[in-house]
Amino acid sequence: MDQKSAGLNLTIFFCQQLDPDQDVNRRALERELGKRIRFFPLPCSGRIDPLHLMRALESGADKVYLVTCPEGTCRYHEGNLRAQKRIAFTQELIEEIGIERERLELIITSAGNPLTIDEIARALLNREASVGPSPVRVSMSETIHHEGAKA
Amino acid sequence: MITAERKPLKEIKEMIAPYQKVLVVGCGTCVAECASGGEKEVGLLASALRMDAKMAGKKLEVKEMTLDRQCVYEFIDRLTDVIGEYDVVLSLGCGAGVQAVAEVFPKVHIVPALNTTFIGETKEAGLWVENCRACGDCKLGFFAAVCPITRCAKGLLNGPCGGSRTDRCEVDPDVPCAWQLIIARLDEMGRLDLLRKVQPPADWSKQQGKGPRKIYRKDQRT
Repeated sequence: MDQKSAGLNLTIFFCQQLDPDQDVNRRALERELGKRIRFFPLPCSGRIDPLHLMRALESGADKVYLVTCPEGTCRYHEGNLRAQKRIAFTQELIEEIGIERERLELIITSAGNPLTIDEIARALLNREASVGPSPVRVSMSETIHHEGAKA
Repeated sequence: MITAERKPLKEIKEMIAPYQKVLVVGCGTCVAECASGGEKEVGLLASALRMDAKMAGKKLEVKEMTLDRQCVYEFIDRLTDVIGEYDVVLSLGCGAGVQAVAEVFPKVHIVPALNTTFIGETKEAGLWVENCRACGDCKLGFFAAVCPITRCAKGLLNGPCGGSRTDRCEVDPDVPCAWQLIIARLDEMGRLDLLRKVQPPADWSKQQGKGPRKIYRKDQRT
């Protein structure tokens, strides 16, 4: 089953140098999927901080992507290389609490086939779901359900 | 700068296990510089603990706060109005910070989230190295500002051991021989004469053996 059909919540951090019209291009998907997809444009993927990734997971993302420019094409020379290190650092941290490292993924775009951010996002949504709903989100909704029942 | 590293989450979780309301307190000075206890690290740890508790179905309230310095009363005092609402303080300060907070709030359980490691320098981005043992008897002036007590594996004060290969320490080839550095730098500044002085045995009584050390400055006292 693909990630869209599986009802997964996706958070996509991306380098806005990838798509000069990202602000317009992502709107249709945002309207279509509502809170199930969240985009965070970054001036460079190297701006990502492990804290951004942790907060995304904590807020209920099932899968968090960081989309970078192709290797060797970073406008700021090595931002996308730093991005890879930050993903690796955060993957180790989430593994310590029993969250699968696959919930954080780095997408290095292809130099030969530049895509707009909505095209990239749709391709991600069409991917086979390798993980299910995040245990953090599941327990969040259980808590809300439980507290609602009590009230 | 005092450096530190975060403890494994398993150890941290064991320490806070009996509690439901946790105040995670960072320090914006040394441990922020070595990326172990500043505001970001407080956020990362708090997020991890909250998610872990949610997955375990445990009720846990985690608040984040970072003091400019955790070892000075004037900054610690910022906790006074909030600390009473929490069962435990998880400190991301160095050992001095943890103890200073505990002195001010003796009824609250303060637990460390970091292992304090050494006094050192930020060598490169993401690399910190030890370069001072706080021996209390600094002789850097004789050694071209390279501390042989800290940076020579054998702590030799009167010349090299002779075991270095090229310019590397025989104990750890990743480390440059401190005496190679001392001699090269003194030579460069034309002060090899400083090595003529025979250094007496180090006076370790200034570092240890008499309990915790104290600095008393009459002019600073109120």
